[in-house]
Amino acid sequence: MELFLQQLLDGLATGALYGALALSVVLVYRASGIVNFAQGEMAMFAAFLTWQAHTWGVPLVLAIGLSMLIAFAFGAGVERVLIRPFGTTAAAHLSLIIVTLGLMLVLTSGAGWTWGYLTKQVPPVFGEGVVDVGASAMSRQALGIILAVAVMSVLLYFLFQKTRLGLDMRAAASNPESARLSGIPVGRMLMLGWGLAGAIGALVGALAAPQLFLQPNMMAAMLLYAFAAATLGGFDSPVGALIGGLLVGVLENMAGTYIDIIGNDFKQAVALIIIMAVLLFKPEGLFGSRTVARV
Amino acid sequence: MSDERRTSGGMGAFGAVRQQLARLREPHAPLDAPTWLRVATFCLVAGVAALLPLYVQPYVNFDLSMVMIYAIVGMGLNLLTGFNGQISLGHSAFFATGAYVAAVAIQDGWHYLAVLPVAVVVTFVLGYLFGLPALRLQGLQLALVTLALAIVTPSAIKRLDDFTKGQEGINLYTAQPPEWTGLERDQWVYLLCLVGVLVAWILTRRLSTGRIGRSLVAVRDNETVARTLGVRSSRTKTMVFAISAAYTGVGGVLYVYVVQFVGPDSFGLVMAIAFISLIVVGGLGTISGAVFGAFFITYVPEWTAGINQAAAGMVYGLSLIIFMFVMPFGIAGLARAALRPVVDRVPGKRGLLSGQGAPTVGGRSAAVDEEELVGS
Repeated sequence: MELFLQQLLDGLATGALYGALALSVVLVYRASGIVNFAQGEMAMFAAFLTWQAHTWGVPLVLAIGLSMLIAFAFGAGVERVLIRPFGTTAAAHLSLIIVTLGLMLVLTSGAGWTWGYLTKQVPPVFGEGVVDVGASAMSRQALGIILAVAVMSVLLYFLFQKTRLGLDMRAAASNPESARLSGIPVGRMLMLGWGLAGAIGALVGALAAPQLFLQPNMMAAMLLYAFAAATLGGFDSPVGALIGGLLVGVLENMAGTYIDIIGNDFKQAVALIIIMAVLLFKPEGLFGSRTVARV
Repeated sequence: MSDERRTSGGMGAFGAVRQQLARLREPHAPLDAPTWLRVATFCLVAGVAALLPLYVQPYVNFDLSMVMIYAIVGMGLNLLTGFNGQISLGHSAFFATGAYVAAVAIQDGWHYLAVLPVAVVVTFVLGYLFGLPALRLQGLQLALVTLALAIVTPSAIKRLDDFTKGQEGINLYTAQPPEWTGLERDQWVYLLCLVGVLVAWILTRRLSTGRIGRSLVAVRDNETVARTLGVRSSRTKTMVFAISAAYTGVGGVLYVYVVQFVGPDSFGLVMAIAFISLIVVGGLGTISGAVFGAFFITYVPEWTAGINQAAAGMVYGLSLIIFMFVMPFGIAGLARAALRPVVDRVPGKRGLLSGQGAPTVGGRSAAVDEEELVGS
């Protein structure tokens, strides 16, 4: 039982990160109707920026803030320069998938080129040590991650539900044509969506780096789990992405502990199985909206 | 005054460059070369390629063998992604399957040529099984699932370490030339790959033209309409998935002949993306494109190795982006544009232009281009 509880808590902490990264995938999907395969690598790059700033003597929290700002600008720029020229029709999907894959590769090798492939040690944001939670213990970092993701989600909720800007963004995402006619600068809203996604990714990168050890390929597996989370929650649902992330985190940890054939090394298969199963049996996910194809 | 003129001159040059760039983005119909010319070109290329290994260094033969292996993979992937419009980012998994089936069987004492049909059957069935759920997935979803497959492949290989020897990989000593040929190993392996690529070329040509090819393209361009016209779209899609996987499996087996080693980390995400770069750079929905792309992904890592460990990835990534922006129909598209004036003058053409295999990128089909040509 104790082991179970411990696994549950560990699963929640990693799940919060998967959920946050899934959230940035979902924000992009809602804005442009595509999956940004470079989302994880953008987060990795931002984590490197954080590390670089920190080694130059900038306090860690400030460094994270800075890299989030840069990631915001970068995300918005990517939308404007690389994505928008192709349009958002289904016919452009192949081109856009290829372009974001290209970006993914450029960022991985760019980070490798600049900082090398040796892992870097990143100090945990919330300090060392453990906190007792009932019968089990949780590291301060894990607890901090859950709290940080929770705070971020609440802020985003307020942005989207309670502010004019959030309303404009939702309008631009759900019906670009009408939004444009009511005077909403749709293009700028899309850039904002991508920018937010980039900033969230930067936060995820900085929070995950101490555990994953910072290196250019650190986010590949993480992105896989984030995709699983987004698929499980429904690709167009931010709430779904967060809940999906927690579920995937817990499932992955449990499967690794209790199912022998999966073990610790083969946990990534859990993500593949989740993605396959959800797409086959409930393609809209838990919280997503059903789409109907019209001829 | 002079300043102004200079600016306007600059604008003019810029405008001309823009115009040239815009022409690169235009789709090009397949060259409709007369049959005799096509057969002659094929025989000439095949003949030169067959004699070449006798005159060059062993390492050149190994490189060219890799080119031919990637070309086979590219043809298979192009059938699936270029002609049929199903995106697969996970073909490295089928390549790995082919390679490991071959390596394990050869180690068990099988003859190295006997493993080839086995690997074809295994990857065909695997591709068929994977193609079944893929029927329900569209565009992005399929890309997601196959990307997941690509990421999981190395850890799956490590997990199955009873067969695959996990991280350590399998070393082999195989594909020795028969005594009577008097050839060196590199030459023999080269010729095996050449046979493979020639068979693949003819088969791909068969599959991508005529009735089958048209149904592939019809399903890609508008599945509902295709179905209305009597194309069995589900069967077409699963079959092409299976066939494409089998091509890739053959590539995997030949890879074992050349490299004589398999290890899990060779078959990761990098290889999956290299395959995509291959068909994008070469030209989506073309057969010759697979060959151009194969040269690209074989030689880029070699040329960039001296610069930086990350340089190959950088070149792949940048070329994916740049090709999508500047010449979405790849090198094959460029070759078509360049060769058209020559080919059009050759006598012996068959009347109407055939429309199979016209590439589409971003919804613009080369078929539109053809209608204009036919009309004129």
